[in-house]
Amino acid sequence: MFLVDDLLLRPLVSLGNVIHSMAIEEMYDVDALRDERKENRLLYELGELSREEYERRQEEIRDQIALAEEAREHLSGRVEVKR
Amino acid sequence: MSDRHLYVYGVVERDEIELEMEGVDGATEIYSVDHGPFSAVVSDVETLEPEETDENSRAHDEVIRAVMEGGEGRTFVPMRFGMVFKNGRTLKSVLREARPAFSRALRDLDGTVELGVKLVAPEETSIDREAVAEDVSERLSAVSAGEADNGLFSDRLVFNASYLVERDSREAFDEAVEGIEDDYGDELTVQYTGPYAPYNFVDIEIGAQH
Repeated sequence: MFLVDDLLLRPLVSLGNVIHSMAIEEMYDVDALRDERKENRLLYELGELSREEYERRQEEIRDQIALAEEAREHLSGRVEVKR
Repeated sequence: MSDRHLYVYGVVERDEIELEMEGVDGATEIYSVDHGPFSAVVSDVETLEPEETDENSRAHDEVIRAVMEGGEGRTFVPMRFGMVFKNGRTLKSVLREARPAFSRALRDLDGTVELGVKLVAPEETSIDREAVAEDVSERLSAVSAGEADNGLFSDRLVFNASYLVERDSREAFDEAVEGIEDDYGDELTVQYTGPYAPYNFVDIEIGAQH
């Protein structure tokens, strides 16, 4: 969740920064991706997904997580991404 | 020649451990590095940052399970995936520094295992999720020594928790899960897993990759 209170305590943060942070927050939400990975595994364990489908999706999510982590690292110096 | 580092699965009371089984990153030998009253369960690894693939996670869990079930059932203080030490010397220095924490963990976890219970709803359901979760939690808390909420990471999940269970209370816990299956099995899928090493009931932070 984005903490608005926290921003109010830092009056120098511009609105542009805030919107930028929120966009990054949503686009590169590593925790949400990790949840998706766990859900994928759970559905496979319950027999709702085939092994192929499960593995395809798992690989896709792994790539997304790597990308998200890289993006956050790359951007973290310029905008603050808070949870 | 490539560097060989030590991948650590966890810590047990001092004991000689030698297993031929698959470890993380294709290792084939699992062995112990002793220091004081502890043995760290390790295998050789070439990288300081092994990738958390399905295969590696499974190897991590299976080594821990094999060590736990060996002997007469060992108490195991598990490490999270990915703890690598540069060599035996750095590992021993960490075991020395964290001695009080490991002693406490081994004492707290003595004779226990971890069991996981999930309740999963079908895509469409009209059940009262909160009421079910509350009832299930109450029944399982009564037969366990600790409970850890693992979070509802999927909309399909109604309940997801881990329990610390004394080996002696295992039967009572199994029966409680059976009762839950009897009462909710028509509407929900009950996933009962374990025994695991008590991951969710230890919190030892050790510096890896020294």
